Amino acid sequence: MKHRIYTIIAALFVLAASANAQQEDSWEKWGPTRGLKSDGFIVRAGYVIGGTTPLPLPAEIRKINSFSPRGGISLGFDGYTMFSKRWGVSLGAHLFWEGFHTSADVKNYYVWLEQEGEITKGYFTGTNVTNTDLLGLTIPILATFRMSPRWNVSFGPYMSFYFMHTFDGEVYDNNEGIGYIRQDTPTGSKVLISKENAMSYPEDFADHMVPVSLGLELGFDWKAMRHLNVFGKLDWGLTNIWESNFEAISFKMYPIYGTIGVAYRY
Amino acid sequence: MNKTSLAVLAAVPFLLSSCIQDEQENTECDIEAVSLHLDNPNTFFVKEADTLLVAGNDRASSDLAFLIKSFAKIQSVPTTLSITAGATAYIESDGGVFVPFVNGTSVDFSDEQVHRFRIVSEDKAWSRIYNLSVKHRPEGEGYLSSDFENYYLDASGKYYVWDAPSIFIDETGKSTWKNGNPGFKISKSSALPMDYPSTPVAGGGPDGSACVKLETCDTGPFGKMANMRLASGSMFNGFFDVGNAIKDPLGATQFGSPFTFKPLLMRIWLRYEPGSVYQDRSGSPIEGIVDEPDVYVVLYRNEDASGNKVQPDGNDMLTNPHIVGKGRLPHHFDANGGDMLSGNPIHGITSEWQEFSIPVEYTTEPDPDILEKEGYSIIISIASSWQGGYFKGAIGSKLYIDNLQIFCEEKED
Repeated sequence: MKHRIYTIIAALFVLAASANAQQEDSWEKWGPTRGLKSDGFIVRAGYVIGGTTPLPLPAEIRKINSFSPRGGISLGFDGYTMFSKRWGVSLGAHLFWEGFHTSADVKNYYVWLEQEGEITKGYFTGTNVTNTDLLGLTIPILATFRMSPRWNVSFGPYMSFYFMHTFDGEVYDNNEGIGYIRQDTPTGSKVLISKENAMSYPEDFADHMVPVSLGLELGFDWKAMRHLNVFGKLDWGLTNIWESNFEAISFKMYPIYGTIGVAYRY
Repeated sequence: MNKTSLAVLAAVPFLLSSCIQDEQENTECDIEAVSLHLDNPNTFFVKEADTLLVAGNDRASSDLAFLIKSFAKIQSVPTTLSITAGATAYIESDGGVFVPFVNGTSVDFSDEQVHRFRIVSEDKAWSRIYNLSVKHRPEGEGYLSSDFENYYLDASGKYYVWDAPSIFIDETGKSTWKNGNPGFKISKSSALPMDYPSTPVAGGGPDGSACVKLETCDTGPFGKMANMRLASGSMFNGFFDVGNAIKDPLGATQFGSPFTFKPLLMRIWLRYEPGSVYQDRSGSPIEGIVDEPDVYVVLYRNEDASGNKVQPDGNDMLTNPHIVGKGRLPHHFDANGGDMLSGNPIHGITSEWQEFSIPVEYTTEPDPDILEKEGYSIIISIASSWQGGYFKGAIGSKLYIDNLQIFCEEKED
């Protein structure tokens, strides 16, 4: 997985460099609206797509049947200051509503559920459906580099605060009609589960999500018009979304969301 | 905006899904079915299909027994196991060592000897030991009784099990009463043996010996998740397919054992205390309805016209067209003969012990020749909530039972 993100970063640099070569544009024309070394701010509106996922995907996940984003709105602004022709920093506040629905086929997926003192645990094989929504505010602190008059890239840490998060889902049989849990161990009682009698995730699952997450953001801005940017960014979560003592999900999960949108530069 | 950079962003979810790892080796190690290869299966089995023993979904049970005619003598038989993909089978040799078992090898099943098989999973991390034998089906008797004095904890130590009349032998080679306790264990792992729906009461019987308490119990948070909020206490003969208890709860309760006599009358001691609030499947209380217990005995033809096995389950144990005779506690019924809930039950059971007689009424006279060939099966079924199969009833309804007897028609010599 890691080499893929390097590929994306490299691709962005290549794009920017080639754009640079083709541009006849002046640094002054596309610079901050008041001089080359100056402050400003940008208002952004974007579409968010991505997921919250274990990394790497555990071997228990055999197939992703479907994936569809939910929500997908990001609104915010960044204040920036350019120290020089090429270098600057920015600080932002981005409200977001992001989420997804996914259906995956799993094999021997360890489940550990506690409800009001009752525990059910074992190994599930079948289809696992998950829905999640995250509503919150991201504060990125980024270094900005002007690669060319019209291209900026920025990179740095961010912190997300969640106002609300939901996480629900259910398990049932897959398209081949296979759906069961082996209680406690792979040699335990085999309890069949079908779509008609699907087992839902407990309602309090989302209560075990942490309220804050940390990660790295990589973004680019392309100055389409004097005040209008087209931008893209990738927020790569580095902290587990679950409380460390939460045992119902046996692996760590990270939010990884990309945004594309337009921005107005003041 | 460059097309390529858009594509890079849009690719993120696909990058994730392309990271599927190699499939891990199987961890399961079950015997799924066993078959005996006999030249003349009808010498041993009432039905030829019984040479195939399908292990139920309750893979927790490690005892498997073929049931042959009471007088048949079996020797070495080529045997085939069907096991989890990738797993390996071993058989215990005379020296107590497990050696690889090759399908089709003859196994000596004479004198009901038990053979131990060890199945090792593909990943070699898990294994199970099975006990396989061929047992004789006990000869039927024209009188059945159960005083529920012989009870003990099951292999997991979680709930009680009662010995049943020997003709109720099942494919684990044991004769025990069946009930919903194994299903309750799935939903309420914290329950102690005396918290289960079917429990013994030492000294609680009308004669001062042990009796059984069947109580409709709350199945807790996991029962609620599966929309199965209560479990009726129960006692029946047949097979409880615990693996299907969530997927198909009515189908999981499979009623009846082959019986060679014509039952005429059931006698049983009963006392009953209905729970205070009757609730529907969604857990909502229903005003004006009083919970009722159920007790019935049924005789049915266990094969259809094409020779297929007939086994009524929770959907049709009282309505299956192969039923020839039936005796049941009095209830109110609607115009179509369906169960009708009411506020004034007429079963007559009170909180004091009384002995009840329930005669079996026949719509079709059983054929004596077919009876002799185990072509009919008997159901005895008792529950603390008569609609418990549909997860409706009153939590806390208690039916106490003791000294069950079935009287049958005498056979002419």
